This record gives sequence, structure tokens and C-alpha cells, in this order.
Amino acid sequence: MTGLRRPLTNPLVQFVVASLFLFGLTWWATGIFSQRAARAEALADARVTTELLAHSIAEPAMPRRLVAGDPGAIDRFDRAVHDRLMTGDVRRIKIWRDDGTVVYSDETELIGKRFALDAEQLSVLRSGATESSLSDLRRRENEFETEDDGLLEVYTKIESPEGQSLLFEAYFSVDTVKQRSAEVLTPFRRITALSLLALLLVGVPLLGVLTLRLTRASRARERLMQRAVQSSEAERRRIARDLHDGVVQELAGTAFALSGTAREPGLSDGLREELLGSSRALRRSLRQLRSLLVEIHPPGLDASGLGAALEDLTAPAAAAGVTTAVSVTGVEGAPDHVVALVWRVAQEATRNTLRHAHASHLTVDVRGDERQVRLTVQDDGIGFDDADPARPGSYGLRGLQSLVEDGGGRVRVDSAPGRGTTVRMVVERP
Amino acid sequence: MIARTVLAVTAVTALTLPGGLVAPAYASHGGANDVRAGGTCSGSAHWKLKAKPDDGRIEVEGEIDSNVAGQRWRWTFKHDGSVSARGSKRTAGRSGSFSVERRMANLSGPDHFVFRATHGKQTCRGTISF
Repeated sequence: MTGLRRPLTNPLVQFVVASLFLFGLTWWATGIFSQRAARAEALADARVTTELLAHSIAEPAMPRRLVAGDPGAIDRFDRAVHDRLMTGDVRRIKIWRDDGTVVYSDETELIGKRFALDAEQLSVLRSGATESSLSDLRRRENEFETEDDGLLEVYTKIESPEGQSLLFEAYFSVDTVKQRSAEVLTPFRRITALSLLALLLVGVPLLGVLTLRLTRASRARERLMQRAVQSSEAERRRIARDLHDGVVQELAGTAFALSGTAREPGLSDGLREELLGSSRALRRSLRQLRSLLVEIHPPGLDASGLGAALEDLTAPAAAAGVTTAVSVTGVEGAPDHVVALVWRVAQEATRNTLRHAHASHLTVDVRGDERQVRLTVQDDGIGFDDADPARPGSYGLRGLQSLVEDGGGRVRVDSAPGRGTTVRMVVERP
Repeated sequence: MIARTVLAVTAVTALTLPGGLVAPAYASHGGANDVRAGGTCSGSAHWKLKAKPDDGRIEVEGEIDSNVAGQRWRWTFKHDGSVSARGSKRTAGRSGSFSVERRMANLSGPDHFVFRATHGKQTCRGTISF
């Protein structure tokens, strides 16, 4: 799964896959549209041809008495127009009387036979329009047709010399439509294929260079981020050490001195009480300062001390009546900045649980392997609506996200009202 | 249908003279599907008539031999009693003959053709069924 996902995150692979998909889509769409266009064009051609044959060749050459089925008139008409009518894609010609009698056809066996005209044919006879449809080769009138792919029939109205309305019908091979489709499709597809190929040939190297630059920039940024995190940790460590070695020692000494002075004989009760009060205030400040020092940088924060640090972190929760469980496995040898990130995220998540969740149980689980370290902090508190930007602790979570991303990891928070909150973080081990 | 079965295997020919006299004529099968007929006219001329299938049509050919070159004959083809073609033509060559041929529609059922040619008082008339 991961193996499959990794190449797909490469912009170059994405571009090639998207291009191929686009190519396939275009190939398919051009087929559909060109077929429609070609069919429409072939139909239009067939109509124009039919009207031309009907009004320019058949109608002017029609002798009197052809409509009456006169054999001599049929001969004369046939000799005059047959070769001119059966041209190009025309496969069959029929001229009908309105009662369904074929008065002329290039297939002379049909002449004089009578078949029922359908509604469309009768409509053309009445309106004089030109219509087309696919032939139904099962009809008796089409018994001589042998085209496997079917025929396209086009009708129009003509008049005999006696003034009788006749239906002129020309049949065209459906192959014509296919040929026209191929004529339209082939060059279009060639252009499409060449364009996409050119796009790929130009785009892939360009995108490759851009991807390389982006990858380098991204790695540089990662290194900077890591350095920033490491610097931040170092700075925290230095501040914690300076405070511990300086201010804390001095405050402790002053508190000790005040307590000793307060026990000197000869002091008034009021002064003694003031000195003891000042000493207690200094000790309180000292405790708060030591807690702050632990938060800034807990002593012994490395892979081997992570479990103990997390136990310390959740100790206030236990004091507040929340049952806690801490589990750490597989983090041996993890770099300090990864350990620090795990601890920071656990700290923020635990703080949120204590402040907002009203939880009764809290678990902190850290699992690691040779590639990454995963942290899960889960509580059974009141939860919150993910979509609510003003929910309690949202600023802390946003800061958490930024912290994790800066450290090269990913964090996800899942919560719903009444269903507790789970914070998951994954960070890669370098 | 290009090659049509010859429906009428007999060709009946007759020479009709203006006075209603009938001269003897012959009828025969030429090629595989050809039908031929011939006879004498009211004068010294002879006529021949031939019908054969031709690409879904019937090709009918009429010929007159008068032994005199330069005569102008008027001729008519009738198809099932209706005039299909007419014209005039001059005899030529040592045999003093001319011939005309026309493609006729191959209608359903037997097709009857009449070839009639006249020159002055001389009349030739032949019929053939296909």
C-alpha cells in the first residue's frame, strides 16, 4: 500500500498519469463526437444528393404514363436516368405512388409491386420535406438488399408530368457513414495524439527540473526546521540550566537565609513572622519556578527517559482524579529532537484533556519502529465538534500542528461531542 | 438480378403483311440465355430479333437485311404493347442492313417485344418473348 502510494505522490508520475488519463478521455470523446458529427454530415450529404437526384435528374426525365406502369415509359425512363441515378454511394432507387405501388426502381422486379407506405413516407408525400432513416431490411420491399451493415434511406417528393405526387427514395450504404466518421476522426485523433505527445515531451523534462528544485528546497527547509527545533531545544535547555544554576540557587539560598534569620533569638514576633512569611513565599515561587523549568525542558529528556518524562507529565492528571496509563515501546535510539516532539505533543494534548475534557481516563501510548515513532493520546472526556473553530483549546491544537509540521511529522485530532478526543502523531525517524 | 432465367422458351414470330398474310418465321435459343427469332418481310428483306439478359435488364436487338444499301427505314420497339423506342436508320454495307439495340426493363412475368420496321410499302414485324 505504502509502496504504491509513494510513486503516486511524485508530481512527475502524477503528471504522466493525468496526461495518460486525459489522453484516453480525449481519445474516447473524440470518437463519440466525431462519429456524431460524421453521421450528421453523412446524413446531410445523403439528403442533398437525394434532392439533387430527384429534382435534377429523375423529375425532368420522367415520361408521361410512367405512373400508370406503362412498360415503354419505364424502358425510356430507365435508359435515360439509370446510370445517372446509380452514382457514388447510391445503392437503390425507388419511386412510389401514394398507394404504395413502385412505379420505378433500378431493381426492375420491384416495378408494379405494391407495399404499404409507412407514416413517415406518407408524411413526406404530404409535406414535401426530405426525411431520412435507417432501412428495415426485414420489410418485403427490401428483399433484394444484401448489405450486411444496413442501408440509410432518404425520401423526398417529386411530381410526375401528369401532376401526381410521387415519393422518390434513395438508399445509401451505411458504410458511407463509417467512412465519413473515419475521415473526420483520423486526422483529429492524429492531431490530439501528437499534441499530447508534444505536451508530454516538453512537460516531463520541465516538470522533472521543477520537481527536483522543489525537492531540494523542501529538503533544505526540512533541515532548517530541524535545526530550528534543535536550536529551540538547545535554547530551552540553556535557559533551564541558567535558571537552575543561577536564579533558583540564589532563591533557594535566600529562602534558607531568611528561615535561619527568623530563628535568631531577640527578634520581635512581628518581624519573625514577616521573615518566615517571606521565606514561605520564596519557597512557593521556587516550586513554581522548578515546575516551569520542567515544562521548558524536563531533565533527562531523551529516548531512555521518555517513559519517565511522560509519567511525570501525567502525574497532575492522576492528582486531579483522572486515571492514567502510559506506555512507551520501540523508541530506543530515537534522536532527541524526535523525543522532544513526542513529549511536546503529549504535553499539549494532556494539558487540553485536563483543562477542557472532564475526562475520567487518559492514555498515552508511544510506539516506535526503525522508520517512525507514533504517539496516541486518548481521553474519554466530553469531546468537541471538529468543525467549531472557537472550541476550547483550538489555538493550542493549531500550535501543536504547526509544531509537529515544523518537526517533520503529521498530527491528526479526532473528536466528537460526548465521544472523547484522540490525538495521533507520526514523526519519521531520520 | 443480373442473369434472369428465361421464362419463355419459345419465341413466336410472325410476318404480318398489309393484307393480313402471314409468312413463316423461326425461333431458337442462341447462347445460354439468348432468345432469337427471324423471318422474311413483306418484300425481299429479312429481319432478325435477339433478346438476352444484360445486368438486370434485357438487351433487345433488331436487324433488317434488305440487300440494298442507302434505304431509310423507320423502326419501332414495343414492350408489352407499349412503344419503348422508335427511330429511323439507313441500311449500309454490301448486305444493305442495319441493326438497332435497346436495353429494356426486365419486368416481372414474361416480357413481350415487337420490332417493326417499314420502308415504303415494305414492312417487317417480329415478336419475341423473354
